[in-house]
Amino acid sequence: MKVQVLQENLQRGLSIVGRAVATRSTLPITANVLVSTDRGRLKLAATDLDISICAWIGAKIDEEGATTVPSRLISDFVAQLPPTTVSLEVPQNGRQMRLECARNDSTINAMDAEDFPRIPEIRDGVTIQFDPKALRRAIERVEFAAATDDSRPVLTGVHLKTDGTRLTMAAADGFRLAVADITLPESPSESIEVIVPARALRELSRLVGETNEPVEMRVNPQRTQVLFAMTDVEMVAQLIQGTFPNYNQLIPAEYGTKVLVNVDEFKREARIAAIFARDGSGIIRLQMAPGDAGMPGQLTISARADEIGDNEGKIDAKVEGEGSKIAFNSRYLQDVLNVLTGTVALEMTSPSSQGVFRPVDENGVSEPGYVHVVMPMFVQW
Amino acid sequence: MSERRATVLHVDLDAFFVSMELLRRPELRGLPVVVAGGLGNRGVVSTASYEARRFGVRSAIPVSQARRLCPAAIFLETDFAYYSLASKAFHAILRDFTPVVEPAGADEAYLDVAGSEALFGSPETIAQAIRRRVRAEIGINASVGVSINKLVSKVASDAGKPDGLVVVPAGAEAAFLAPRPIRDLPMVGKKTADVLSGLGIHTIGDIARTPESALVARFGSHGAELRARALGIFDAPVLAGRGEAKSISRETTFDVDEPDGDRLRAVLRGQAERVATDLARHGKAGRTVTLKLRFPPFETISRSVTTGVAVELAGDLHAAAVTLFDRAWAEHDRRPVRLLGVGVSNLQERARQLRLGETLEADRLQDAVAELRDRFGDAAVRRGAEIRPQE
Repeated sequence: MKVQVLQENLQRGLSIVGRAVATRSTLPITANVLVSTDRGRLKLAATDLDISICAWIGAKIDEEGATTVPSRLISDFVAQLPPTTVSLEVPQNGRQMRLECARNDSTINAMDAEDFPRIPEIRDGVTIQFDPKALRRAIERVEFAAATDDSRPVLTGVHLKTDGTRLTMAAADGFRLAVADITLPESPSESIEVIVPARALRELSRLVGETNEPVEMRVNPQRTQVLFAMTDVEMVAQLIQGTFPNYNQLIPAEYGTKVLVNVDEFKREARIAAIFARDGSGIIRLQMAPGDAGMPGQLTISARADEIGDNEGKIDAKVEGEGSKIAFNSRYLQDVLNVLTGTVALEMTSPSSQGVFRPVDENGVSEPGYVHVVMPMFVQW
Repeated sequence: MSERRATVLHVDLDAFFVSMELLRRPELRGLPVVVAGGLGNRGVVSTASYEARRFGVRSAIPVSQARRLCPAAIFLETDFAYYSLASKAFHAILRDFTPVVEPAGADEAYLDVAGSEALFGSPETIAQAIRRRVRAEIGINASVGVSINKLVSKVASDAGKPDGLVVVPAGAEAAFLAPRPIRDLPMVGKKTADVLSGLGIHTIGDIARTPESALVARFGSHGAELRARALGIFDAPVLAGRGEAKSISRETTFDVDEPDGDRLRAVLRGQAERVATDLARHGKAGRTVTLKLRFPPFETISRSVTTGVAVELAGDLHAAAVTLFDRAWAEHDRRPVRLLGVGVSNLQERARQLRLGETLEADRLQDAVAELRDRFGDAAVRRGAEIRPQE
C-alpha cells in the first residue's frame, strides 16, 4: 500500500473512528485501526465488536493495500505532525507502516488486516432519513435515561419505533423514563421497532454534531444490526434483542399539582442544592406553594446533609392545584433540567409517585414532542 | 397515637461521677466533693456533689474557680473506666423494661414504656422499679421524670433531684412548667435568658403567656418554638440508640453448630428483618451489607458488599446477605456454622429511590412490622421458616 493524504484529513478521520476503538478487550487487534484503500479513497475503521465506525478520506493512491496499526499510537502521532502531506507506505507483508511527513520519518509495527474483525455491511432492509438537528436533539434528550448497568440489557438501549412519519425514542433505567418524538421527512417503507445501544446513539450524536449532514439509518432484515450513514462516515451497531417495557402506562395522564418555572432558575437552584445533597444521600427536596392574592406561587428547592449543613432556595412559579412536595435524586433532577430550555412544567400527584417534566411554550402549553418521568425518592419529610 | 399518654421517662443518675466516687470512698459522704477532668488550673469541673453545689460550684467551670468558691472541697480526678462499667449496667437495666431506650449520655436516657405496661405496670410503677434496681445494683440514686414527651420529662427529672420521681399527667404539662424559671427550659441558654429577662419574662409561664408574634419578632422562628416548648409541646419521639449507630447488625450463636443451609438462610432472613426494623427506627438506610460467619471453634470470617443504592428493606438486605453467605459458605466447604450475623453500615438518611411502576406496599408492611416489634419485642413477629420445628 502506498498513499498520500493531508495531515488534517488523516487526523480528523482517526479521531472519528477512534471512538469505536476497544479500550479493554480480549481481542488485541480491536485496539487497532484498520487502514485500507477503498475505491480511490482511504478508509479508516475501528470496532469494539458492539459498534464499528468507518470514515473515508480523500487520498492519492499509488498502490492498493490494507493493514492495522494501534489506534492510540497513530492518533497521538498524527496529531503532532505539521499540516502538510503525509505519505503512508506498507510493504507487501503488511507488518509495518512507514509514515513520512515533511522531514519526519517513522515506522509503526502493524498487525495483518486479514485478522481484523469483519465490519458488517447492511445493504438492504428498512431505511429512514433523518434531519441531523432533530435527530441530535432527540438523542440528547433521551439517551442519558438509559441504564448504565447491564442487569437488564434492554434498558441499556434506546427504543426506536416508527408510526408513519413519527419516530418515537424512549429510554428508561428503571427509575426514570425519557420519551422524545421526531417527525421524519418521509415515512419509512415499513414500520420498525428496535432497541439501539444508548452508547451507539451517543456516538452518533457526536458524529452528527461534527458533520451536520443528513443521516440515513438502515436496519437489516433480521433486525439484528443498524447502520447510520453520513456522506463520509458510517456507524454500525448490534441491536439489543428483547422486549422493551411498555412505558406508556408509566406516564400519568393526570396530576394534582402542576408547577411552571423558568428552567435556568430551576437549574441554578438545583445545582446549588446538589452541592449540599452530595454529602447526604443525594436528595433534593421540592416544595410547591400556590400563590394567593395576586402573589406568584413558589417553588422551594432544598437539600441537607447530616453534620454538614443545609440549603434552601426559592423561585417564583406558577402553581396549579394544591401545594405539594416531592424529593428527587439530585442527578436525575439535574439531568432532565440540563436538556431543557425556556419553561418547564413539573406535574405530580403525590410525594411517592412519578414526577413528570414537560417543556412548555410561552403560553404554558406543553410541547408534545418530549416527556420525562422521574420516580421520586421516598424520604422522611 | 390519637390520645397522648404520659409514657415517656427521663432517667438521670444523680451527680453521677461524684456518686460513683462516694461509693468507693464512703468517708467523703456529706462533704463537698468535686470531680474534675484534671486537677491543675486548666482542669474543668465534671460533677460537683450537692454539698459543693451550695457554694456555687457547677459543671463546666474551671477548677481554679471552683477552688476559690469552695476552698474546703475535696477534688478528685475523673476515672472514666470506672464510671463506664456503671454506665453500661445502668443502660442495661433500662433495656430490661423496653427496647425503646434513647441514651442521652453516660448517665441519662429517655424511655418510652408505652409497650411495656402489660408486663411491668404503669409508667410510674416502672419508674419506681428502675430507681430501685439502680440503687440495688449500682448503689447510687436515679431521678426520674414521667410525662407525655422528652422535654417535659427532662424538666420533671431535674425538678425531682436528688433521688426523686416526678410524674406530670397528660394535659398538665403547661401548668407544671409555668411556675419554673426560664432557665429550666432546655432550649433557653444564658443569652436567650438575658434577653427574656430584659422583656420582663422570668418564668416559663411568662413565655407561654407572651403572644407568639412578640417572640417571633424578637427571636425569629426560634420564638415560635420557644413558646411551643413553654406550653410543653414537643414532638420528637424517643429513638432507640439515636446518634450513635454507625452500623446496625444482628447475630445469632447456635447452641448446636448448624449444618443446614436452608435453616441458615432462614435465620439470615429473620436477622435481615430485624436490622431493617432498626434501620427504619433510626430513619436510616445503609450502603454496605456485611455477613459474619463463625466456624467452630473460633474461625470468624466476614464478607461485605457495597451497593449503589442504599438498602433499607428486609428483602433487599436478605438478598445481599444470602449472596454473600452462599459464596462464603461454599468457600468453607459448607461446614456447620456456629455463629451467623448480618449488618449494615455506611448509613445515610433513609431515602429510597422508587422504581418506575413501584408502589409503597413493601415499605408499609415493613413499617407495620417495625411498629409491632417496637411495642412487643423482636420475637413478636417472625417468619415461619425461622422457627425450628421442635420449638
